[in-house]
Amino acid sequence: MIDFTRLNLNNKEPVYVQIASFVKKQILAGSAKSGEELPSRRELAALLGINPNTVQKAYRLMEEEGYVRTLSNSGSIIYTDEKILSAVGNEFTKELVAHFVKAAKDINMTFKQTIDLISEVWDEI
Amino acid sequence: MIEVIGVKKYYGTTATGLENESVAISKGEIVGILGENGSGKTTLLKAIMGLCELNEGKVLIEGKPVKKMYGKMAFITCEGSFFPWMKPLEYGEFLSNTVPGFDMDKYTRFLKYFELDMKQKIKNFSHGQKTKLEIAAGLCRGAEYILMDEPFTGKDMFTRRDFLKLMISSLKGNETILIATHLADEIENFIDRVIILRHGRIRADLQMDEIRMSDRDLKSVLMEITGYREDNYKRIFTMRQ
Repeated sequence: MIDFTRLNLNNKEPVYVQIASFVKKQILAGSAKSGEELPSRRELAALLGINPNTVQKAYRLMEEEGYVRTLSNSGSIIYTDEKILSAVGNEFTKELVAHFVKAAKDINMTFKQTIDLISEVWDEI
Repeated sequence: MIEVIGVKKYYGTTATGLENESVAISKGEIVGILGENGSGKTTLLKAIMGLCELNEGKVLIEGKPVKKMYGKMAFITCEGSFFPWMKPLEYGEFLSNTVPGFDMDKYTRFLKYFELDMKQKIKNFSHGQKTKLEIAAGLCRGAEYILMDEPFTGKDMFTRRDFLKLMISSLKGNETILIATHLADEIENFIDRVIILRHGRIRADLQMDEIRMSDRDLKSVLMEITGYREDNYKRIFTMRQ
């Protein structure tokens, strides 16, 4: 079961988007497997101190994005196959790099400086 | 749906409660009502509950006057709506007999959870205990419209969080909730929408997601509207006597 207690909400993004990102991260990290059950909407709302409409919105978004399926009234589960995994992965890694590139540009780093630094740090870690 | 239509409320002849305000709240919405002390938060709630005489305007709940809708409404206020001479269970029995949707089983659970002394009369409770009783009674009415006035008063941070979680788990999902508070942080993630009052006027009416998408948070919006300045305190040193 995904441990939602580790989700710390910020006040910058809509809460339902934060929930979806958190689940995506768990899928990529391998800690949420296909077929795994998600808590009920009410349970998750109480756990996070948010309103059940928001959880409903998050589940709908995740269904639309493909990695959550809701089976009638018996609750929602994680669903992944190779196609979904690579789509989620691509989106996530691209976002990660975009953040990084923006931060680098903000402090006026050149493309070459950035790449050199990446190679250096890559070997160190 | 709650419709507040052109409501004007003065206290005495000049003190403003609300200045000709209108607002509509859809069924199922969870709305925070924020503003400084004296901005009209309590007046707005009382106007909706039909607890004060309006100078102008009207309030409709599902198209009907409030007086016909009391069975579907709950008002949780720090002033308390219980009978002080009753003990908690006597009050529960009274509510079971008068409120059709009252859930006695849930009420006794709440009392136990809050560790309230069943042998005491409510009037002997501390301020915090009275608030707990008020919350228990309010959340167990099975109301579809729940109005809360400063429900976090007199609670420390963890109790506030527990209270929010407790409330969320006791919701059925169709409730419309209005919370008047000045504690923006506590409800920031809980509400769908915020109404900000200042000097008896609605100065902002925003969706929370809208605020976040525009790279702001509730606190900065509040500061903008109340004209709060970080260095305002320095004025005291430059003021003329």
